Amino acid sequence: MRNLIAFLQRFRIFLVFAVLQILAIMWYVTYLSFPRNQFLTTNNNIAIQLLEWEHDLTKHFNLSKNNTELQWENIYWRKRQPKFMYQLSRGKVKINDTIYEQQYAYIPAEIINSSVNRRNNYFTLNVGTAQGIKRGMGVFCQQGVVGVIHYASKHYSLVKTVLTKDINIDVSIRMKKSDLPGLLKWDGRDPRYGMITGINNDLRIKKWSKVETRGGSGIFPKGLPVGKVSFTEPIEGQALWKVEIRFSADYRRLQRVYIIKNLHLAEQTALEARIPEDD
Amino acid sequence: MNVVYKHIIRFVVFALLQALVFNQLNIGFGIHLMIQPLFIMLLPFELTVIPMMGIAFLMGLVIDIFSNTYGLNTSALVLMAYLRPIVFKFYGPREGYDPLKEPTSIDMGSNWFGLVYGILLGLHTFWFFLLEIFEIGRIGFILQKTILSGGLSFLLALLIQSFILNSKQKK
Repeated sequence: MRNLIAFLQRFRIFLVFAVLQILAIMWYVTYLSFPRNQFLTTNNNIAIQLLEWEHDLTKHFNLSKNNTELQWENIYWRKRQPKFMYQLSRGKVKINDTIYEQQYAYIPAEIINSSVNRRNNYFTLNVGTAQGIKRGMGVFCQQGVVGVIHYASKHYSLVKTVLTKDINIDVSIRMKKSDLPGLLKWDGRDPRYGMITGINNDLRIKKWSKVETRGGSGIFPKGLPVGKVSFTEPIEGQALWKVEIRFSADYRRLQRVYIIKNLHLAEQTALEARIPEDD
Repeated sequence: MNVVYKHIIRFVVFALLQALVFNQLNIGFGIHLMIQPLFIMLLPFELTVIPMMGIAFLMGLVIDIFSNTYGLNTSALVLMAYLRPIVFKFYGPREGYDPLKEPTSIDMGSNWFGLVYGILLGLHTFWFFLLEIFEIGRIGFILQKTILSGGLSFLLALLIQSFILNSKQKK
């Protein structure tokens, strides 16, 4: 016994060292098996609080870099949002009926660029040949006639609107009640008012009578609204009326339009090509 | 200032510095900066080894809690505290240490400090990474980490001495 005590006294430093080492290494080796050891990690209140303060202090150090990364991530997701994507397939409704055959198909589109103040005004639509748009198709909106497709690229198309002075598209129109035919023109001044030529001045035109499309050229169906007669005046030296109409559509605020696809157009042009040129 | 209070304050400052500053630094190359050995090094000469090991155990516990290392720092610090009197005795002056002096580079000269602290820190760091990796086959990796981390920690200790302790000495 005395020998043991003498041994312990001689080696007490090493024994304390060994005990402490064994404690530390036991802790290291067994930390997975004893959940109570989790208290001796950063998982306790004091350590968490201190580390939170530290984080509050240092979290802004990489702010600029983090912002750039977030911005890139935003772009990444924004690119994938349907809102910002180009829609390739647009809805077209086709009706099969044994009595009434559908003659016109409509393709919805959105105006993405427009002008109304120039001498010749063109609208850009977000549909193109990918949706079956071709040069010469008619464009209208809910309130009235808009124009004719002037040029179509793969995904976009250009509309020559009725607000065109120089190379005017001749939309053939008629008075709704009196059935008088005429041609729609624009004088290049006010996008709210257009003109009609080709009405003889021996006929009477009522003010505010409605004007609609005639549907002769195969571009527009019959009966699309155009406007109302607002002013008539005889042209001097000619047997014609100068008729001013107010457009029913407000082209300055137009956003959504329809493109008209005449399903019988090929048949009509093929037939009309048979007219003998000599006569 | 009372020596006990001074070392208690040092304990808190070193633990917080290590936990909140040097543990958060990511230098790369597997470098782990450690300043808690400097605290053990700067304990007074007349402190006997058993209380010193107790203090080292406590210090290691705090550092382990803050860095989620489960006893690694405790083990390495206790080893360093155990070895400190042996190394001190080996490199000490023939007539023993002056109890009025402190084991700093200012009191004892930078040669002595560099040699003793270099040995102790090297052993501490080697033990730390040996336990952490615990694979004889990767002894080269252990040595690499020891040399890189130990070297940088040594430079850091010199810096801390010249900044903090120097101003204290002038008072």
